[in-house]
Amino acid sequence: MSRSQQVTRPIVRSLQQGRTAATCQSRSIAARQFSSTTSRKDEATTTEPLKLSGLPISPQWTPEQLARLTSPDLGSRRRRAALATTTHVPFEQMPYLCFQEARKVLNEDRQEKIAQIVVETEKIKRLEAADPSTMRGGEAYKEKRLASLRKHVEELKILADINDPLVKRRFEDGVGDMSKPIYRYLANRKWHAMDQKIIVQRIQQFHIVPDILPKFEPTVDVKMSFRGQPVAPGQFLNSRVTEVAPTLRMQVFDKGERLISVVVMDSDVPDTEFDLFTRRCHYLATNIPWDPTKTHLPLRLVGSPSGKTGGELPVPWLPAFAQKGSPYHRLSIFILEQKAGERLDANKLQELYDGPGRDTFTLKSFRDKFNLTPVGFNLFRTEWDENTADIMEKHAIPGADVEFRHQHFKTLKTPRAAKGWEAKRQKPKYKSLWKYTKRIATL
Amino acid sequence: MFFALSNLRGLASRLFSRPALLPTTTTTITTRPFTTTLPSMASKPAAKPPSKKAAAGAAKSKASRRVAERDPKIVNMLQHFAALSPRRIPAPLRMGRNRHLRHWTIHRAWLLFRRRARKERERTLMRQQQSMSAACEELRLTEGPGTRDMGYLYRVAMEKKGVYGLHGVPIEYARAQTDTPARVPWNHEWKA
Repeated sequence: MSRSQQVTRPIVRSLQQGRTAATCQSRSIAARQFSSTTSRKDEATTTEPLKLSGLPISPQWTPEQLARLTSPDLGSRRRRAALATTTHVPFEQMPYLCFQEARKVLNEDRQEKIAQIVVETEKIKRLEAADPSTMRGGEAYKEKRLASLRKHVEELKILADINDPLVKRRFEDGVGDMSKPIYRYLANRKWHAMDQKIIVQRIQQFHIVPDILPKFEPTVDVKMSFRGQPVAPGQFLNSRVTEVAPTLRMQVFDKGERLISVVVMDSDVPDTEFDLFTRRCHYLATNIPWDPTKTHLPLRLVGSPSGKTGGELPVPWLPAFAQKGSPYHRLSIFILEQKAGERLDANKLQELYDGPGRDTFTLKSFRDKFNLTPVGFNLFRTEWDENTADIMEKHAIPGADVEFRHQHFKTLKTPRAAKGWEAKRQKPKYKSLWKYTKRIATL
Repeated sequence: MFFALSNLRGLASRLFSRPALLPTTTTTITTRPFTTTLPSMASKPAAKPPSKKAAAGAAKSKASRRVAERDPKIVNMLQHFAALSPRRIPAPLRMGRNRHLRHWTIHRAWLLFRRRARKERERTLMRQQQSMSAACEELRLTEGPGTRDMGYLYRVAMEKKGVYGLHGVPIEYARAQTDTPARVPWNHEWKA
């Protein structure tokens, strides 16, 4: 082995994607990755420093020694030359023939799409300037045509960018600019792939429709976290955890600024007097400005003078609680979109829904009264647990000493004599069979 | 069907590569694993289609005979396992991120290229069809030649006399029409 080979051997090993000798031999199926995307170990050597996971490194090596090992001055003449000339080649200029040809095709397509966008925009302008009375369909036709043209332009904008590998990379890294339609489109697609389905399933299986709203389809991605911990939709939460309001992670997929209201309500409050379940409003915030670039909404900061979230807080957070013996309570978080340019009167809301008004809150009437559209949803559940009594006492909520029990009714059927093979063999005559005649068929 | 064939192939290779698991003493009796029925009372297993291996016959090893004796349920199960085996389902492509992105780019460009070609072909076909249709319409509205009335030329042009031979009909009509016709409608090579 020549001297240069000796020197480069560790480098070559490190380039073998961190495979240790043992895994190399066995190559078990379980070690296969099912992800086709990024694996940090495989990251391109040209743009990032080498990862040394596969190297037989002694832990005593200092970072300086490691840096020297991976430095571009080490290795064969060919390696040094390659590293010296290609370290800072941007991804889209990588000199792979097929890749570059593919980029040419895609770029051509993109130029076509952009030209089309220009044409369609011109069409829209002309149509906007046109007098609807000259058209056969009149004003209605013009509006419909305009809407359809605008929709087409939006589609073209997405199509122009969807084949760009850099857009894909930026979206996967989570650094996409949500004010651009392509990233919103990709985010929406990703949400629909799983999270939206889960939310829709929760709405169905917990009977949110029709218990709370007659019909509802979420269009906004809402995730919640309590005390920094993300919570799955429908999870049971300890009342200690839900003492403070959650932080919402919301993503809207349509462009523009809008105002939203947030409602948290309990839809399973037992009412013994009328023998039914009623609702209770736990939280109501309104006039929160929102747009696609925003993601975090800490509910406890809404309405506070220092809070950057903006908005007003007519009904502050009431900790989630369930009295002992009552079945689990569904606490739903609803995001409602306000009509463009309409602000709700926080004082009126407070008058309506704070204090005793909490128990008379219904989402449907709230929606109808203030002309809102429910767009987002999430859910958690709560039960009586070891902390509920403390929490209720701390927040001066009455009813911690109440325990609900099922009402038991005696059967109205007249008692009947025992029947069957077993009942006939209870006498001492059948003592030998007693071990088989324990289970008498009743009724 | 394609699957079944490949599975069987995989199965055979799997079974041959296995070491003999059954003790040799039991091979003297007709082995029927997983059943308590006496061999004499048991119904005869359905006659297997003679596979190539079985046809090769007595010269074959014990292993191949054991394949023939296997319970069809087990064979079925093994077939399904074979379908799931990594030999049948290739491993996912493992690529570094940049390489995957390049791969993706090329893939998208290829899809785009194919779509363009397809659209182009569809456009051409549609143009041809429409021009043919326009020509027919023109024929239909034409009078003549001579004293012929309007549409005569069209009717004549639409006749298929002689297309399938003298006084002939399409040969497909000679067999029963089915929802799933054969790929080759008529085997002209066939002789009685």
